[in-house]
Amino acid sequence: MDKLRNLWNEIRPRGGWKYPAIIISGAFVGLFIYTFFTARAHSYLSNDPATCVNCHIMGPYYATWMHSSHGRNTTCNDCHVPQDSKIRGYYFKAVDGLRHSAVFTIRGEDQALQAIPASSEVIMENCVRCHTQLNSEFIRTGRMGFKEMKEMGGHACWDCHRDVPHTRSRSLSSTPNARIPMPETHVPEWLQNLMNEEKD
Amino acid sequence: MNRNRNHKGMKPWVGWLLFFVTMGVVFLLGMLAASITQRRAEIASVMNNRKIEITGIESRNEIFAENYPREYETWRQTADTTFQSEFNGSSMVDVLEERPEMVILWAGYAFSKDYSTPRGHMHAIEDIRHTLRTGSPMGPDEGPQPATCWTCKSPDVPRLMDSVGIAEFYNKPWSHWGHEIVNPIGCADCHEAETMNLRVSRPALIEGFEAMGKNVQDATHQEMRTLACAQCHVEYYFTPEGKYLTFPWHNGTTMEGAEQYYDEIGFADYTHALSKAPIIKAQHPDYEIYSTGIHAQRGVSCADCHMPYVSEGGVKYSSHHKRSPLASMNNTCQVCHRETEEDLRNNVYERQRSADQIRNLVEKELATAHLEAQFAWEKGATEAQMKEALQLIRQSQWRWDYAVASHGGSFHSPVEFQRILSLSLDRAHKARFEIAKVLALNGFTGNVPLPDISTKEKAQSYIGLDIAKERSNKQRFLEEKVPEWLESARANNRLVSLK
Repeated sequence: MDKLRNLWNEIRPRGGWKYPAIIISGAFVGLFIYTFFTARAHSYLSNDPATCVNCHIMGPYYATWMHSSHGRNTTCNDCHVPQDSKIRGYYFKAVDGLRHSAVFTIRGEDQALQAIPASSEVIMENCVRCHTQLNSEFIRTGRMGFKEMKEMGGHACWDCHRDVPHTRSRSLSSTPNARIPMPETHVPEWLQNLMNEEKD
Repeated sequence: MNRNRNHKGMKPWVGWLLFFVTMGVVFLLGMLAASITQRRAEIASVMNNRKIEITGIESRNEIFAENYPREYETWRQTADTTFQSEFNGSSMVDVLEERPEMVILWAGYAFSKDYSTPRGHMHAIEDIRHTLRTGSPMGPDEGPQPATCWTCKSPDVPRLMDSVGIAEFYNKPWSHWGHEIVNPIGCADCHEAETMNLRVSRPALIEGFEAMGKNVQDATHQEMRTLACAQCHVEYYFTPEGKYLTFPWHNGTTMEGAEQYYDEIGFADYTHALSKAPIIKAQHPDYEIYSTGIHAQRGVSCADCHMPYVSEGGVKYSSHHKRSPLASMNNTCQVCHRETEEDLRNNVYERQRSADQIRNLVEKELATAHLEAQFAWEKGATEAQMKEALQLIRQSQWRWDYAVASHGGSFHSPVEFQRILSLSLDRAHKARFEIAKVLALNGFTGNVPLPDISTKEKAQSYIGLDIAKERSNKQRFLEEKVPEWLESARANNRLVSLK
């Protein structure tokens, strides 16, 4: 502890540095809060499907899900996030989410998104979670996870059920004029109106 | 001590290093924030990647073609008339020719002159000009119909309502707006141009909902996929004063509710020329009947079946070729019902055949009731004697028309449809029974001699129509007046197409 205190005493801004330091720290915190809200980070705690459309490229996936057989009974998280424990769920969401943000920030998203193996495992787990009886009593497909299935040369659920739920032709541009609940602009209405008036 | 303050344990370069490192971190965070803001701003471009900026109420459908080629192409396909199912289809069929009793049922009303099955939206303007019901107005304010008739035929209507006012739009003769209303049912009727969101463009629907104490603005997107159609595919009437388009929904959207409304205001569309019964004409209560059916109850909207999703290459969109779902069952019925096409088609026809059976009985019975009533008047019946019979005829015809005028009611809600037809048959029987009593009171107890109305021509000549003259006037109107209208429309830039 003393070592830390000594280190801090060494590097903390003193005298003339105090004010610039405070200002820059303020700038940092402010930017951080701005980033938090503009990325709508608070929305990721919920299960609302509209949250996933924070990244607008998710539009077609939202639209195809909404009009599918799963549209009434499931949310995005019900399939794409582990539901067996809250901790595992949030951890997975965090890791996956940060990966998404990184890819999205560098504009590295594919035109036709595909699930990474870790994701596929979770999705198949969730297929079996809801369709338990079907997958353990009638057919035995639910007894193995995705990884084992692939290693043994088997098929995942969606290798046959190809349309569920995002349909067969799915890409970032597959539903051009679909109605998606995109995030609202954070330009306040009074300013928008003012800008529109000026344009006229 | 003051001078030494800055150097106490910290070398100057450490201070500067920390300063620049922190600046660097803040800068990077700013970049991240900017990148997030930028990608979020892209959302505006998702909906705004348009070749042509369209604002306000754009009534020329061709303008939308550049921005929404798929929806536009499929909309144009509503001109197609090839589809035929057992009872319905996309082509124009002369119903009076097939069912001459209808001429009698509508004696004294324009429908007895001309009534054909409706066809695709693209034909809306052409067909309203061609039907004998709109007459042949050669002069500026001639003709039997008010401007309200235009309301459901064109996106020019909301444009005009916006510029001249709603009541002012309605309260003119039909021919008054002939040169203004030239584009068939299209984009601006259902969509607002800036965002292509579904929105209501006809005030009558808003007012109809208000009459029920509901607010149509509360509708969800899925509900709007039905309400956009409910702007026109509903029962309505024009108020005698001002010809204001009104939906009779003050007591709800049921057949009985509407009848109660009409009875309370003492309304009749016309007095029957033969029986003198006060008749209400029902117009296509598609939305009302559909709402009572099982599909509506399960949350299926009009667009789910009539504007199904279509996959073309890698793109999926709503087909705007509105027609019978039987024409492409794999993306309409079979999305939810996994039975074979043949099975599903039989399910539809079964219900339609049952309804048809009752309908045929009703038409015969009701036409006979009208003719017998006419006979009773000739035998010297008084108003007091005939009152009950005429009331029953009114009720029978209202029920018959309510069911039969609907597009697809026999499938949308077969139970309700057949209930309504059965009630119509009941009233028709009761009416004839009453008339028999009146005839007996006036000294006649035999079988009423009925005229030969076995064909459309015979029926029309029986009720005194000069169809040849109507047709020749219409021909003149189409050859002389309509081109004037089109020329004026082109001059005022209301029309884009070449025709």
